[in-house]
Amino acid sequence: MDDWVAELQEGRSDAAWDLFLDRYRRLLFAAIRHYAQDYDDVMDVFARACEALRADDLRRLRSWVDQPEHRARFSTWLVTVVRHLTVDWFRHRDGRRRLSVVAEGLPLLRRRIFEHVFLDQRSHIEAYELIHAAEVPTLTFREFLSELRATYHAVSGGRRGQVLRDLAPRPVAPDDLPADPAGPSTTDAAEQSQLMEQALSILGPDDRLIVELFVLEELPAETVAKVLGLANVKAVYNRAYRALAVVRAQLERAGVRREDL
Amino acid sequence: MSSLDPGDRLMRSDESFEELWSVLDTRVRSETLTPDCLSDDMIAALADGSLAPDVRASILPHVASCPRCRLAVASVARALADPAVARELSASSNGRRWYRIAVPLAAAAVLLLLLSSPGDDRSPVHRGPPPPPPATTPIPRSPVGAVAAVNALRWSPVAGADRYRVTVFDATGGVVYATELADTVVAFPDSVALIPGDSYLWKVDARTGFDRWAASELAEFSIAAPRRR
Repeated sequence: MDDWVAELQEGRSDAAWDLFLDRYRRLLFAAIRHYAQDYDDVMDVFARACEALRADDLRRLRSWVDQPEHRARFSTWLVTVVRHLTVDWFRHRDGRRRLSVVAEGLPLLRRRIFEHVFLDQRSHIEAYELIHAAEVPTLTFREFLSELRATYHAVSGGRRGQVLRDLAPRPVAPDDLPADPAGPSTTDAAEQSQLMEQALSILGPDDRLIVELFVLEELPAETVAKVLGLANVKAVYNRAYRALAVVRAQLERAGVRREDL
Repeated sequence: MSSLDPGDRLMRSDESFEELWSVLDTRVRSETLTPDCLSDDMIAALADGSLAPDVRASILPHVASCPRCRLAVASVARALADPAVARELSASSNGRRWYRIAVPLAAAAVLLLLLSSPGDDRSPVHRGPPPPPPATTPIPRSPVGAVAAVNALRWSPVAGADRYRVTVFDATGGVVYATELADTVVAFPDSVALIPGDSYLWKVDARTGFDRWAASELAEFSIAAPRRR
C-alpha cells in the first residue's frame, strides 16, 4: 500500500497530503504544463489543483481510495482530474482575458473567428453568420471553413494549444441553433452536418470512434490503437480508410457529392 | 506545429480527409452531462488503453455518440502521450516499485554477508553459466508463425505476475479473443473460428503489481491452408 494511502486511511490527512504531494508534484506540474505552458498560468492552476484536491479533508483522493475497484491507475486518474481542473480554471476564472492575448497574433478574419468560437463559445455556423452578416458579406461558407481550420491549427500549435482545443466546443443543445439559418450556404452546411451524423451513425462504435479520434481529433494512430485496443497503427489506417469509404458512399446515396463537401 | 508521425501524415494527405474534416467540424457539439457519461476513472482507463476488452466494448457505443466523453478521452490520451507527462507517470510508478524491491534486497544482501564466514571454501561455488535474469515481460511461445491448428496459447511466466491478460487480434486489428487467467497457458476455444490462410496477432499482459501490467511484444501466427491433392 502506498504510504500516503496508509496515512489517509489512518485519518492523518495532513501527513497523507504531504506524502501525496511529495510523490506526485512533478506529475501534477507535467500534466498542467501540457495544457497551459505560460508560467503564471501553470502556477495558478497548480494552486487551484492543490486547493481542489485538498478540499473537504482530501475528499477527491479519499473517494478514489475508497472505490472497491479501480479501472485506471491512480496516476492516470490524477492526470484526468488535472485536465478537468485546468479546463475549468480557464473557463470560469479569468480565461477570457488571458486567452484574448492569443488572438493578437492572428490575421483579422481568423481573429474574428477565434473570438466568436473560442472566447464567446459560439458554434461554427453561428460564427459564420455573424462574420458574414456584419463584416465580410462576400465570405463563402467554404472559405470560412478553410479559415476556421487554419485558426484551429494556429491556436492549437501555440503555447496554450492543448487547453484551447478543450475550450472550443460550445455547451449547446441542437435546439439552440437558429431554426432557419440565414443564407443558403449555412443551411446547406447544417443539412450536410445532419447527413454526416446520419452517415456516421451507420458505422459500428469502434469504426466511428476511429473516424472521430483519428480524423477529427487528429490523435496519432498509435494512440487511437491503444484507446480502442487495436493491434497496431496499420489496423487504424485500414479501418479508417474503410470507414471513410462507407461514410462517403452513404453521403452519395443521400445526394451529397464530393464537390458539395 | 505537428506531432504526426510519417504514416499518419501520409494517411491524412488523402483528400477525403480534408473534405470530411470540414463537414465533421461544423457539427454542433454538446457537452451536456448524461447519466451514461463516463467517470474520471473510466475516462482515464480508456485513454490509457488499460480497460479490459469486455468493459471497453460495453462503453464504446456511448463514447462514439457523446461529444463530451469523446473530447475528454481524446484530451487525456493526448496528455498521456506527452513525453513529459509519460516520463512522470513512469517515474511515479517505477520509483516506488524500485524502492520497495531494492530495500529488502539490500537488507538481504547485508544479512548474507554477515552470515557467511570469510575464507570458507566449503561454500558451494556456482560453476555453470549465470542464470538468466528474471523476465519482466511475458514472451508468446506458441502459436508463432504458420501452424496447422491452434489448440492452446502458451507464453513464458513473469516473476511476480499473478494474472495474465491474453488478446488475439485479426488482420484488421479487431479483437477476436480475449481472456484473463492466472496460468501461462489457455485452451483456445472452438467457438472462435480462425480462418485458414489469415494472419493473426496476439499478445499477453502480465499483472506485476496493483494495477500494473507488463505487455509482451505482438506475436503473429497463421493457420496453414489445407493442401490440395
